[in-house]
Amino acid sequence: MSGQGSGGPATPWDEGGPERLYTVSRGRAGRHDRTSVELVTLIVARTEPEPGMQPEIAAVLRMCQFPLSVAEISAYLVLPVSTVSVILAGLLKERRVEARAPVPAAVLPDTELLQAVMHGLQNL
Amino acid sequence: MVFAGASPGGRRPASALVWVLPPAAMAVCAALAVTAVPAAARAAVAWCGVVATLMVTAAAAESRRRGRLIATLRERHGAQEDVLRRRLVEQEEETRRLARDLLPAAVARLQRGSMVDEVMKDIDHTPALDPDFESAHRALLRAVLETVRAEEDLRDAAQRAFVNIARRVQAIVHQQAQDLRELEDKHGADPEVFEDLLHIDHGNALVGRLADSIAVLGGSRPGRQWQKEVPLFNVLRGAMSRILEYQRVDLHSVADVAIVGPSVEPLIHALAELLDNATRYSPPKTRVHLTAIEVQSGIAIEIEDAGVGLSAEARRRTELVLAQASTGLDLNDLGETPRLGLAVVGRLALRYRFQISLRPSAYGGVRAVLVVPQDITCPTPAPGGAIARAAKLPPPKPVRRATPTPMPARAPKPAPDHPGFRQNTAGLPQRRRRMPVVTPPIRIDAEPPAAAPAADRPTAPVTPPVQPGMWLAAFHKGLSGESPDPDCTAVFDTTSHPSKHSDHSDPSNKDE
Repeated sequence: MSGQGSGGPATPWDEGGPERLYTVSRGRAGRHDRTSVELVTLIVARTEPEPGMQPEIAAVLRMCQFPLSVAEISAYLVLPVSTVSVILAGLLKERRVEARAPVPAAVLPDTELLQAVMHGLQNL
Repeated sequence: MVFAGASPGGRRPASALVWVLPPAAMAVCAALAVTAVPAAARAAVAWCGVVATLMVTAAAAESRRRGRLIATLRERHGAQEDVLRRRLVEQEEETRRLARDLLPAAVARLQRGSMVDEVMKDIDHTPALDPDFESAHRALLRAVLETVRAEEDLRDAAQRAFVNIARRVQAIVHQQAQDLRELEDKHGADPEVFEDLLHIDHGNALVGRLADSIAVLGGSRPGRQWQKEVPLFNVLRGAMSRILEYQRVDLHSVADVAIVGPSVEPLIHALAELLDNATRYSPPKTRVHLTAIEVQSGIAIEIEDAGVGLSAEARRRTELVLAQASTGLDLNDLGETPRLGLAVVGRLALRYRFQISLRPSAYGGVRAVLVVPQDITCPTPAPGGAIARAAKLPPPKPVRRATPTPMPARAPKPAPDHPGFRQNTAGLPQRRRRMPVVTPPIRIDAEPPAAAPAADRPTAPVTPPVQPGMWLAAFHKGLSGESPDPDCTAVFDTTSHPSKHSDHSDPSNKDE
């Protein structure tokens, strides 16, 4: 399909690896364990990648030496968010990475309040 | 007359006497009767005796004639029988030769692609034989060969048809797989849809494997061609993704090698069939272990299951199936799935020189070992395995929080026009702005290919802050005339050479 174009100069046969996504996430799609991770959750690695690790996990650990959002990880690995979430859920369980929750919307001041303040200031 | 008639001509004196005996006895009896009867009846009796004697003589002569006839006939018959028997032996011998030598040789030649006429021409002929018989034999041979030829043609046609169909299915499956991958990317954020997509994707891969199997049995290659080498890890995972119960397979240590492009697909396929066997014939709760280690002759990939195991008999049969794989597509094989898989593995092993052995496993099941020859492996470009489509990962950050020095230390040649704080042309220490000093070594040496994106990443600014302390300390030491602290040599080695360089080059630049 049209996405093929991103494959670049290679022949149409030459794209990706021989494995399919379900082997990457070992059959899970994250329907059950995608609780703590959202697109904007920041992930920081707590451990170094070790030899013999699944390459995706090693890559996550390597790139998350500095906080990266789930969305970014997904983009870098070219893996769907669900797959990344499954991988991250496993890593979180093993305490290899930690998740930093994004600022919850409720903590941010109400827009109406801000607007009221702005108007008040303008009216001064 | 009687005597002349009875005489056998000297050849058989005993039997000649035998023929004389009855008429003589008759004559004696007649004479006795003539003497015994009254004189009145004597004439009549004598007549009767004479007549009887003549009759007996005639009968004896006739018998003798017939006896001789029979003897000659018997003689002739014996000779004829000898001839016939000899001919029969020759014909039997010829028939035996036909069955034992000629026919198998001719069929073998036919299977190697010779034409019927060619084969017929080369069959030597036996001159001793009756031409009729020989031509009948040749006709028979020709009929058989033509039948075999027709059968071979039919099988070829069937193979081609199978391969053709398999190719089409493969094309559709491949297209489907690509589309599914796109859908997975598109709907990847929704776990419910995503899971269903994975399910379909898996089913699609199974269809693809079946099509590949049929293509292989038809004498063709399995599936797609890979242009580049693929890391072994990904090959093994590729094999896992084509079996039904891939979740039961544990992928353990994998040697860090890659498989050259043309052999990737056959290896994946052979492994998938072996894994399928392993998962199919072991209890559903047990795990199947998959490892790959380097051995002298290449890479040994082991598949170990905890199933029921193979009896010696079953193993012998299985190895026979593996070994017999060279014969072409047998339509009967397509009816029985397990044998289909092994036949496919056998054919692939034969063609790509994989060595396969099945041994009892320590877990009680079967340990299948597939040895990949050395010459289809190569060093892997991605140790540990490549990630499916990720061409670029974010660059590893050059500086860890605690260990700032090693990175710049590797700098082969920092930019000469950033001498840092070293002395300027006037001989006075001169402090430069911090950013230009720090960033060039990082950009140049820490991660040559990928640093550019790092610069504009939000986290990149974290990089420099560790440097200033070192930098400043060295500055002070430089001012006080001390040689740089060993901790910092690494940092300053990189800058000192070029700075000397610049000391020399600056004036020269001015001169120019």
